[in-house]
Amino acid sequence: MLLHCEAVGKRYGRGRWILRDVDLDLAPGDVLAVVGANGSGKSTLLRILAGLTRPTAGRRTGTATAQGASVGYVPDRFTAHERLTAMAYLTHLGRIRGLPTATARDRAGRLLDRLALAGGPDAPLRTLSKGNAQKVALAQALLVPPDLLVLDEPWSGLDASAHTALAGILAETAAAGGAVVFTDHREALARTHATAVHTVADGRVTRRADPGPGAPVVVVLTRRGGPDLPGVLDLPGFLDLPGVLAVERHGAELHLRVDRSRTDAVLLAALRDDWSVQAVTRPAPEPAPAAAEPAPAPTPRTTAR
Amino acid sequence: MTALVRYRLTTLLLSQRYLAPLLLFAALVTVLTSNDTGPLTAAHAASGLAMLLAATWLTMALAGLDDPPHRAVLTAATGGHRRLTTGTVLAALAACLPLAALGLLLPLLVGDHSPTAADLLLGVEVQLTCACTGAAVGLLTARPVVRRQGHGLLLALALLLVLTLGKGLPPVNLMLTRLSGHHRSADLVGSTALLLALAAVLLGTAAVVGHAVAVRRD
Repeated sequence: MLLHCEAVGKRYGRGRWILRDVDLDLAPGDVLAVVGANGSGKSTLLRILAGLTRPTAGRRTGTATAQGASVGYVPDRFTAHERLTAMAYLTHLGRIRGLPTATARDRAGRLLDRLALAGGPDAPLRTLSKGNAQKVALAQALLVPPDLLVLDEPWSGLDASAHTALAGILAETAAAGGAVVFTDHREALARTHATAVHTVADGRVTRRADPGPGAPVVVVLTRRGGPDLPGVLDLPGFLDLPGVLAVERHGAELHLRVDRSRTDAVLLAALRDDWSVQAVTRPAPEPAPAAAEPAPAPTPRTTAR
Repeated sequence: MTALVRYRLTTLLLSQRYLAPLLLFAALVTVLTSNDTGPLTAAHAASGLAMLLAATWLTMALAGLDDPPHRAVLTAATGGHRRLTTGTVLAALAACLPLAALGLLLPLLVGDHSPTAADLLLGVEVQLTCACTGAAVGLLTARPVVRRQGHGLLLALALLLVLTLGKGLPPVNLMLTRLSGHHRSADLVGSTALLLALAAVLLGTAAVVGHAVAVRRD
C-alpha cells in the first residue's frame, strides 16, 4: 500500500476538529479527487496526506511515508516573491531533491516547455501571472517522478492548453505507478480525471460511488506499420494495464474494453507505444456486445478520428 | 543539504535582506574598534556584540524568506520538517562566516595591534560563540515559531537584552565580562571554548524547539 490513513483526525490546539476519523487508502495508479466547499478541510487533508501536517489523532503509514519516497506538493497559492528566474528556481529545487545540476536543468526545461510557460524559462518568478506561477509550482513537483503527487486546486488559473497538459501529467503519474490526490470544488472536473472521488464535509471524509456511468468504454486501436509489428504493448501487454477489462483482436484492429475511469491513462499508454486510436465508443448500458463489432456501433456518443 | 543551503543563501542574497545586518555589523565594529591601541580582548568583545546582533537579524531574515505555502513546497522537496530546519541553521551559520572574518580583520585594520596566534584563536571563538547564540535567538523569534514579525522583533530584543545584560549569564554576558577583565588572550582561550560549546548546544536546542513548534502548528 502506498499510503494508508487510519482514524486520522486534526485540530489545532483546543479548537474544533477540522477532520475526524478519516480512513483512506491509496494504491499505485490511484487518482483521488477530494471535493468539498471552501474551508471544509480539503487543504488540511491534502497536507496530512503529503506528510506536511502531523495528524492530531490516528496513523499515516505506507511506502510514501518512508524516508526517500518522492512526494510532490503543489500548493493552491504559489507566491514566488524572489528575483530568481523560473529556470534557476526549478534547478535549485531539483538539486534539493537530489538531482545533479545538469539533469535538473534538463527536466525543468522540458516541463516548462510542455506547460508552455509564458515569458519562457528565464522569466523572473515575481513577474509571472497566477496561471504561470501555477505552472512553475506544478513543474517543481514533477522534477523527480513522484510516488505521491498532491495538488491543491491545480486546475484554477490554468489556461486551456495547460489543462490538457495537466490531465496528461496526472494520467502519466498514475500510469507510472504513482498515486495522485487533487482537490477541486467542481465535481464534474474531479469525476473526469479521477478514479475515485471523496467528499469532505463537517470534518468527515466519505467516498463517493465510482465516477462515470460504470459501463466500460470500447477503444479501437490500430498500429501504424501493420498489426504484426512487434510492440511493447500487445494483446498480453494491454491486459496488464490497470483498467483494461478485455482485449480482442479483429483483423488489424485491437478492441479494448476499458474501465471508464481509466480511459485516459490507457489511451496515453497506447499512443506512446505507436498505436493509433480509431474510435472511442461508449456502448449502450445493456448488454455490451459492442466490442465484437467495429465502426458503426449503436451508441449515443461516438467519436472517431 | 548543500543544495538547500545554497538555495537559502541565494534567495537571501537576491532579497538583499542581508544588507542591513551587514552594514550594522561593519559600522559597529569600525566605530567601536577604530584608533584602538588597547588590548585585542576589548576589540573582540566589541565585534562579538556586533556579531550577536547581526547573527540574530540574518537568521530572522533567512527564516522569514519563505511564506507558509512555499515553506510547504520546500518541506516536501527536502523530505521533512527536520531537514528543512537543519538547512536553515546551516545557512544561518554559513551567512555568519564572512561576518566573522570581517569581525576578526576589521579591528586589525582600523586599530593598531600586533596580534598573536592566541589573539586570533580567541577572536574566532568569540565570533562563533556570538554567531551561534544569535542564530538561536533568530530561530526562536522568526517564522514558523513567531508568525508576526513585530512580535518576533520585540521578543528578539528582549532575549538579546537578557543575554547581554544578565549579570554572569553564559555564554554572552559571561564572555564579554571576562574579555573586558582579562588582557591576555591565552588565558581565555580554554574557557571561551567551553562557552562556544554551550552556544552550540543552545543553537541545537533552539532548532529542536523550533522544529517541534513548526510540526505542532503546521
